[in-house]
Amino acid sequence: MSDKLKDILSHLSPEVDQETLLRYLEGRLSDEQRHEVEKKMMATNFTDDAMDGLQEIKNKEKISSLVEQLNRDLHKKLEKKKKKREKLRFKDQPWLYIAIFIILLLIVLSYMVINRMLQQP
Amino acid sequence: MKFVFSRIIENEISYFHPVNPKLNKHISDLELLERFYADRDNQWLGILLERYTLLLLGVCMKYLKNEELARDSVQQIFLKAITELQKYRVEYFKSWIYMVAKNHCLMQLRDKPGKNTIEVKDSIPAETDETDKESLLLNEKTYEYMGEALKELNAEQQLCVTLFYMEKKSYQQITEQTGYSMMQVKSHIQNGKRNMRILIEKKMNG
Repeated sequence: MSDKLKDILSHLSPEVDQETLLRYLEGRLSDEQRHEVEKKMMATNFTDDAMDGLQEIKNKEKISSLVEQLNRDLHKKLEKKKKKREKLRFKDQPWLYIAIFIILLLIVLSYMVINRMLQQP
Repeated sequence: MKFVFSRIIENEISYFHPVNPKLNKHISDLELLERFYADRDNQWLGILLERYTLLLLGVCMKYLKNEELARDSVQQIFLKAITELQKYRVEYFKSWIYMVAKNHCLMQLRDKPGKNTIEVKDSIPAETDETDKESLLLNEKTYEYMGEALKELNAEQQLCVTLFYMEKKSYQQITEQTGYSMMQVKSHIQNGKRNMRILIEKKMNG
């Protein structure tokens, strides 16, 4: 009795993985498993709100593909940002500018030296 | 004790973690953030945000009531999170991302007059100390008060709380047994829980 009462106040529930939640939404869990998921989802406002919202999606079968799509988009965006940052980082390398400057200086100096040598009789 | 108890009531914590097995389950949210702050590699944010996609979709659906809008909002929340996390440190990611999601949805509702507006009253829960809660849960007197409080609930709440927590029935089973809708069942359980906490608190102080 006291163990069951404890559940009313307790929020020390173990994790529910995404797979289980998706199976819950698709109605692929036993009553006992459903109860466990519901108990855990009720534990915080975040999960409780999410549960309410997910129940409102009519076609539960498509939730999984929707999540996959969102995750794919997320990774694409992150990859894009990463490349952009790397590009910027490359631009920010002071050594690169110094090297370019030195090479240009050497070219100019070489040109001047060769030019002078050619002008001398 | 009152303080401890109020913290339990206010700061509900769960270990719900929608983690795909592939998503480095062994690494905690905090650790992922630490890794990101250490090397600024976006892959850590990707792993972290992916854990919350389903929950964020659910929250956006709850407030916006539109699948298309909810999907777009999740993408915008991701972008916002990526930008904000570069600017400052976040410790309790789960609470933080929930707040970001709720604020985003509220802004969406405000920007579109005529949409149903939902008042968000809930405070953002912070992580709580498990030891505090354990000490409360182990208190025999609390069990006694809980038993009494359960009997003091109204008939609907008492029935739903009993069926859910004592008989471990699912919402669907309770719906079938009582004839209430799923939302009514949920509401009776939540209100029953809240009322029980208030009653127990009164008993503890009384």
